Amino acid sequence: MFGTQARGEVSHEFQPPLMQYWRPNIYTRRANIVVKFQDLYGFTVEGNVDDVNVLNEVREKVRQQGRVWWALEANKGANWYLQPQISSLSEGIGVAALKLSALANSITLKKLIRKGIPPVLRPKVWFSVSGAAKKRSTVPESYYNDLIKAVEGKVTPATKQIDHDLPRTFPGHPWFDTQEGRAALRRVLVGYSFRDCHVGYCQGLNYVAALLLLVMKTEEDAFWMLAVLLENVLVNDCYTDNLSGCHVEQRVFKDLLSKKCPRIAAHLEAMEFDVSLVATEWFLCLFSKSLPSETTMRVWDVLFYDGAKVLFHVALAIFKMNEEELLMTSQIGDVINILQRSTHHLYDPDDLLTVAFDKIGSMTSTTITKQRKKQEPAVMAELDQRLRRLNSLKMDDKPDSPRE
Amino acid sequence: MANSRNKNINAKLVLLGDVGAGKSSLVLRFVKGQFVDFQESTIGAAFFSQTLAVNDATIKFEIWDTAGQERYHSLAPMYYRGAAAAVVVYDTTNQASFACAKKWVTELQEQGNTNIVMALAGNKSDLLDSRKVTAEEAQVYAQENGLFFMETSAKTAQNVNEIFHEIAKRLPRAQPPQNPSGMVLMERPPVNGTSSSCCS
Ligand SMILES: Nc1nc2c(ncn2[C@@H]2O[C@H](COP(=O)(O)OP(=O)(O)OP(=O)(O)O)[C@@H](O)[C@H]2O)c(=O)[nH]1
Ligand SMILES: [Mg+2]
Repeated sequence: MFGTQARGEVSHEFQPPLMQYWRPNIYTRRANIVVKFQDLYGFTVEGNVDDVNVLNEVREKVRQQGRVWWALEANKGANWYLQPQISSLSEGIGVAALKLSALANSITLKKLIRKGIPPVLRPKVWFSVSGAAKKRSTVPESYYNDLIKAVEGKVTPATKQIDHDLPRTFPGHPWFDTQEGRAALRRVLVGYSFRDCHVGYCQGLNYVAALLLLVMKTEEDAFWMLAVLLENVLVNDCYTDNLSGCHVEQRVFKDLLSKKCPRIAAHLEAMEFDVSLVATEWFLCLFSKSLPSETTMRVWDVLFYDGAKVLFHVALAIFKMNEEELLMTSQIGDVINILQRSTHHLYDPDDLLTVAFDKIGSMTSTTITKQRKKQEPAVMAELDQRLRRLNSLKMDDKPDSPRE
Repeated sequence: MANSRNKNINAKLVLLGDVGAGKSSLVLRFVKGQFVDFQESTIGAAFFSQTLAVNDATIKFEIWDTAGQERYHSLAPMYYRGAAAAVVVYDTTNQASFACAKKWVTELQEQGNTNIVMALAGNKSDLLDSRKVTAEEAQVYAQENGLFFMETSAKTAQNVNEIFHEIAKRLPRAQPPQNPSGMVLMERPPVNGTSSSCCS
């Protein structure tokens, strides 16, 4: 149904030139066998015929959304959604009117983004709403190229780890299996490791940067998206040192789960199942290893617009959607299987996002910031305690052979 | 096999070790009988389960395959908490990974379950030409520390089932006591020191 048309909408350099969409025929429908197909971003997906059908419907919805965006462009001008620069305008009534129209635009934009940004507009809209454009505009044009030139050939622990992980990042993906794909991913990750030496390179960022590359078309834009993500969108220190930011988010998440899904939280606690066992990866890879790529992109649409609280919404929704089944589990393995099966099959992003935003209830960024502040001291104390304990173990140890 | 005296035992097992030592590959080999040249790096941890029948019992392993990068170590207690068994993995072609394995052993001895069954796996034994850690060296270390040692290869499957079987045999037949209270505080007074560095 969407063979050629979908290709027309999504065009970027990193995409495999030809996408073969698998059309189920009557026999496979009957047999309900597992089928393999490539999704919009080139990932091989295994699913059943129902999954393929869902994906077909989703793409039809995406096309309809695309028409809404085109109509708005025709109506309001091509860049209506770009951040309005009100401050730079002249004073007077004109400003008030402009502010009003900016407000109207932002309400429209919020709604539209929840429904998904058309893949072809995604790079431009992300770049603008995330603040990446602004970040980039504060440095000389040549920043990225200069950075890449300056770090070429340098070897650090971060670059070693990056090189180790390149072939281990989405192996089997048609672009990341090529020299060109790996080289681009390497430059983005290495470049960033020099930009912020506290982060350097943290495993997990390879998956995030890889998806950013697939979406953003150019390496440089992917780099700036990574920068804005780590420096502005996400909570501080998610990827540094001992991942303290990530520990904080996990504690906040546990609190939220008890509030928003008290039955699940109580049940899992009775089983001594710590939700961080599964949620840690969700937060560090921003769902890129758990959700189908098209669904992940829809989550990121909202993430770049609404900020890091979106991760809580989505994580809570995954639990919420499986509430009845989860309440019947008695073994950890079953909990994990339910969550994994559910996330891998979330081919309709609206199923997830509707629960995430309409059923979970609102959470303001301010309350979440407060929650984080509340958890920080405990996290720091715990991490500090662990460090000291390990150091004391080390002192007791027989001297090791020197490390290289 | 099923008889009324057959015990069903659930055992939590954790894999720890340096980045790229082959933890995920060992689990994949054990659980699915497969090996891939490029195994995705693990973030946080991955869960698997596998059931083994040994003489008198059926053991259901609940396996946590953890991430190796040093900054992920702060997450490890969540995964080894209450574990009945641990496989500490190093890469026989990488001396630093052996040093890292020793650190994990020490940490488990101090913080893990008191009667945890620990195995030391010297992985990638198929890479004979690039070997850096001798079997003798590892064997001596294992003996001194009361763990059992095997050289494994996730690639050729050498000793992979064997190491899990051996663990299954050594597991106490009564369910191990769980350790629900997260961090165990240390008894010794803290020693001031700089950051502990393990596998870089
Ligand atoms: N030759 C050989 N290669 C292996 C063996 N085991 C693993 N490898 C390779 O070593 C690399 C790392 O293996 P993983 O299983 O991902 O290592 P890991 O310990 O899980 O790594 P992290 O998840 O990053 O901590 C992969 O490319 C594997 O193919 C082995 O027994 N022999
Ligand atoms: Mg792994």
